[in-house]
Amino acid sequence: MSTFFAEHAWLVPVFPFAAFAILTAMGKGLKRTGAWIGTIATFASFVLSLCIAAERLAGNSPDYSNQFEWIQVGSLQLHAGFEVTNLSTLMLVVVTLVGFLVNLYSQGYMKNDERISTFFAYVALFTSSMLALVLSDNLLTFYIFWELVGVCSFLLVGFWYQKPEAKAAAKKAFIVTRIGDLGLLIALLLLFWYMPGHALDFTALHNVFDTQSGTISEGITTLIALLIFLGAVGKSGQFPLHVWLPDAMEGPTPISALIHAATMVAAGVFLVARTFDIFEASQVAMTTVAIIGAFTAIFAATIGLAQNDIKRILAYSTVSQLGYMMLALGVGSVTGAMFHLFTHAFFKALLFLGAGSVIHSVHTQDIREMGGLGKKMKITAWTFGLGALALSGIPPFSGFWSKDAILTAALDDQPILFIVGAIAAFFTALYMARLYFLVFMGKPREGQHAKESPSVMTIPLIVLAILATVSGFVETPFNGWFGHWLTGDETEHGASGLVMVVSAAVGLLGLYIGWLMYVKGSIRRDAVSSRAPGLVTLLERKYYIDELYHWLFVKPLHGLGKALELFDEYVVDGIVRLSGYTVSGIGRLNSRLQNGQVQAYALTALIGIVILILAIAGRRFW
Amino acid sequence: MLDNLPVLSLITFTPLAGALLVLLLPGARTNWLRITAIIFTVIPLLLSLWLFASYQPSLGGGEYAEHSTWLQIPLNIEFFNPGEVSTLRLEFDYNLAVDGISMPMVLLTSIISVMSVLASVHIRKRWKTYYFLFLLLLTGIYGVFLARDLILFFVFFEVTLIPMFFLIGIWGYYDREKAATRFLIYNGLGSAAMLLSFLIIIATLGFSTTDGMNLAFSGNYDVLLSNLADPNAFANVDSANSRYLGIFLSDNARWTAFVLLLIAFGIKIPIFPFHTWMLKVHTEAPPAVVMIHSGILLKMGVYGLIRFVLFLFPDQMHSWATTLAVFGVINILYGAILACVQRDFKLVLAYSSISHMGIVLLGIASFEEVGLQGAIFQSVSHGLISALLFLIVGSLYERTNTTQLSELGGLAKTLPFMSGILLIAGLASLGLPGLSGFVGEFLSFMGLFGSMKILTAIGVLGILFAAVYVLRSILNMTYGPMPETFANLKDARFVEAFPMITLAAFIVLLGVYPSILTDLMQHGFNGLLEQIQTRMGG
Repeated sequence: MSTFFAEHAWLVPVFPFAAFAILTAMGKGLKRTGAWIGTIATFASFVLSLCIAAERLAGNSPDYSNQFEWIQVGSLQLHAGFEVTNLSTLMLVVVTLVGFLVNLYSQGYMKNDERISTFFAYVALFTSSMLALVLSDNLLTFYIFWELVGVCSFLLVGFWYQKPEAKAAAKKAFIVTRIGDLGLLIALLLLFWYMPGHALDFTALHNVFDTQSGTISEGITTLIALLIFLGAVGKSGQFPLHVWLPDAMEGPTPISALIHAATMVAAGVFLVARTFDIFEASQVAMTTVAIIGAFTAIFAATIGLAQNDIKRILAYSTVSQLGYMMLALGVGSVTGAMFHLFTHAFFKALLFLGAGSVIHSVHTQDIREMGGLGKKMKITAWTFGLGALALSGIPPFSGFWSKDAILTAALDDQPILFIVGAIAAFFTALYMARLYFLVFMGKPREGQHAKESPSVMTIPLIVLAILATVSGFVETPFNGWFGHWLTGDETEHGASGLVMVVSAAVGLLGLYIGWLMYVKGSIRRDAVSSRAPGLVTLLERKYYIDELYHWLFVKPLHGLGKALELFDEYVVDGIVRLSGYTVSGIGRLNSRLQNGQVQAYALTALIGIVILILAIAGRRFW
Repeated sequence: MLDNLPVLSLITFTPLAGALLVLLLPGARTNWLRITAIIFTVIPLLLSLWLFASYQPSLGGGEYAEHSTWLQIPLNIEFFNPGEVSTLRLEFDYNLAVDGISMPMVLLTSIISVMSVLASVHIRKRWKTYYFLFLLLLTGIYGVFLARDLILFFVFFEVTLIPMFFLIGIWGYYDREKAATRFLIYNGLGSAAMLLSFLIIIATLGFSTTDGMNLAFSGNYDVLLSNLADPNAFANVDSANSRYLGIFLSDNARWTAFVLLLIAFGIKIPIFPFHTWMLKVHTEAPPAVVMIHSGILLKMGVYGLIRFVLFLFPDQMHSWATTLAVFGVINILYGAILACVQRDFKLVLAYSSISHMGIVLLGIASFEEVGLQGAIFQSVSHGLISALLFLIVGSLYERTNTTQLSELGGLAKTLPFMSGILLIAGLASLGLPGLSGFVGEFLSFMGLFGSMKILTAIGVLGILFAAVYVLRSILNMTYGPMPETFANLKDARFVEAFPMITLAAFIVLLGVYPSILTDLMQHGFNGLLEQIQTRMGG
């Protein structure tokens, strides 16, 4: 029943923040020492998170929260504070563990980059903000760190700032997610004005929306929930705001693993889970979440089938898997969503780091230029394979169990959602098979001297591969320990033989077809593209969404700006100039004796004011 | 230690003393002039920091106030019946005071002025005149924020115009003279409107008598406020048989005075469509002067709007709250959208200022304490941020000789420090939490959202556009490939880096620990808002 470590949970984000401060202050002089400062700080956070987790696992510790006044306005106060619950503890462990492994890996991956200490400073700032976000006890603090992780993501996507693509991607990432942030901000304002006592802390939200339902009208509740969801859609790359996430792959690969797969993009899911009472109070909101989630899952999976950049395939896969998590939330299963978040963090980080290992070795990201790497990069190939199996939902790997939990919940709620999820699972297995077989099997390319990455990079791969394999066992249809611990709910999902069989079958089928196409060759690779070239182009061009937005938003905004510029120049300023000329003309007539400019203008001013007074006062008095 | 000294007067007139000293120095001794100017801007900074530390708002705002009679002009009493009145005079007081609304402005002025005088290192000619005008301008600004008498306020307000006119016209860029005259025309109009309105106020609200025999028209702000609050004050009694005909402040007269003041301060802020003059000043004035202009002078408009329009004409203001909010939203979106398409970085910043001042208007229109605090917070924050941005613009221009976005690029490679600070300033400008901009915007939006939800929601769109124009312009300058010509640029020198770091530090401080400012303002609005509400309720 101890809360000793929980009371000190605020230290978890402080360690990496201290590392950030040191790295920023000491600047470039640190070079690789700086990398170690970042890594050690994250490790310290990881150890402390483990202690907190151990404490909470040992006994049923009460939730611990602590807050202090941030701004006081009149009688009302805005607080900042932190709170340790089982949900936040889970996130702490995931973030610090993946964060630590990514730090370690980056020691190798970024070794020759001259701005390595800047890189580690940014990573430390990100880790710190992400941990603070997880610990936030109220929506305002949450929003603050939500924006901060966004800006860190922006900085890291644009880390190689001289590349025009990186510049464009960083800008896009920030602006597109900010559309979602507006939703969250307005939700915050609504809550502030509608909540009793202007309370914004999660406990109060829970009380009002769960136990005292009816305090806030249903319409407003729906509005709030949808606006919060808009924030989650932006951050978690859900349709229609998914466009930034694949482009964000311009950042260094360890960043893609940490921020754009395991942690930050999952923050949207975490947000919905954290404010779940608001969603549960509105059926419309729940349905929206489920539909958007399911649609994104299948939509992104199909795009993943036709991409050739190894990181982009994984990025669309991330979008798709986040869709699964949203789907789980929409059908009411917080456990399913958080469970999938948990396993996905490991296997997707693994896949990205594995991809990074490949890119590090062959210096290309195009899978058509790769092949036969399995023989030369044994550790990478094996660990990547395990990650691919977990993502494809093959039993007994972790992804199978978490996807199973989601599909079971979907089937209970709405069979059509289950069918969509199952089809998306098939596509998932198929694109992973394509990716794996093209990269690691087949004939090695001539002139490519691939070799295994250094152990500082392969050790994180091995650790993550183990986790990707076994982490699913915390929650199986036969053992609901995880869900019980997380939500305190005993019977969230029961075993469903049908779901398990279907889920495993579509995964295996996807892998098998991939094998036939890309290894055995009994199905021609261009089987689809020769028959339906339009369809393939559509997928390759990502359904032309980017182009659509360009014509729908970017161009009109630019046009509006240009039109207003003319308006400003010729109408607003034109009237000013015209009246200026008129008045100064009269002024000149009347003041021939005066030749100093200032006087002329003073007179102008006087005459002007007389006209003004007549115009205003006149209308009032007469 | 300082308790017995007239601190407010010292703050106000130290720069004037410096200006006079500058006149005595030989014009060729640049360093002497410069050091004198620095000393005489640092002294007010130290004094206002001391004032900030010792100002105890819980003890009431009147603790630091200085009062003495300044001008007494006897008026003709012939048209009264003999013996009815013994004296009739105009009374203009030298009345200075500081409260929770002035204090942030004085602090802002003192901080930015020091940074700006340091940034004046890029001034290349006529140093003596420059520093003289610069210091004179500061006296005017401090006076504006501390004066509590209409005429005194007006005088200080005018004192800021003249130095500013020459600072733009002599040391500006290519089109400087046009910009200077544009500045003078607009602000002259504003001043005229203000003066007229002040005269209406003095002639009615300023009228008081203690014994019925000695009559006075006063511009003293305290007298005005107490007359305003007193239902039996002559200005509030509309009765034909009143002894003093013409003193009654009729509704029409109130509206006239109100609208005139709104125009006067609206030009200064500036409110659409009165903004074009300030674009010219932003682009043509030397960056060190724009730091003062964008950082402080625009805030005189906000200050005046709160001090004189909101507090003297709350009923009129309240019935125009929606109009004001609409103008605020127009400012926000109009400025932001135009900032998105500008090709000159200085114009991006100018339009962005219009957008940010729109948020201030929303805060004021809210009639909520949160919103009003947000408005002042946003003013201070925008002051710091735009001062920092123009500081960087000045240093950049010294190196690249251009602020055209298309000619810049990749500067992060050769100028990593300045690019980093520029990015921080940009992020503050787009309202990133943890930096000051967020707090001001958030509090303003929060305030207005209570009464005008849809308008606020539309205004919130501005922060999306802010992300667009800030990132578009700043990434264009610092990211991407670098033109060959910039390969040998040198990063900031100490004299440039010091003010950059200082301003950035204040921006972070206010973002992380806003209470330092909000606690101060707490007691600025407390009583006054209640007063407004009771009167409006009654």
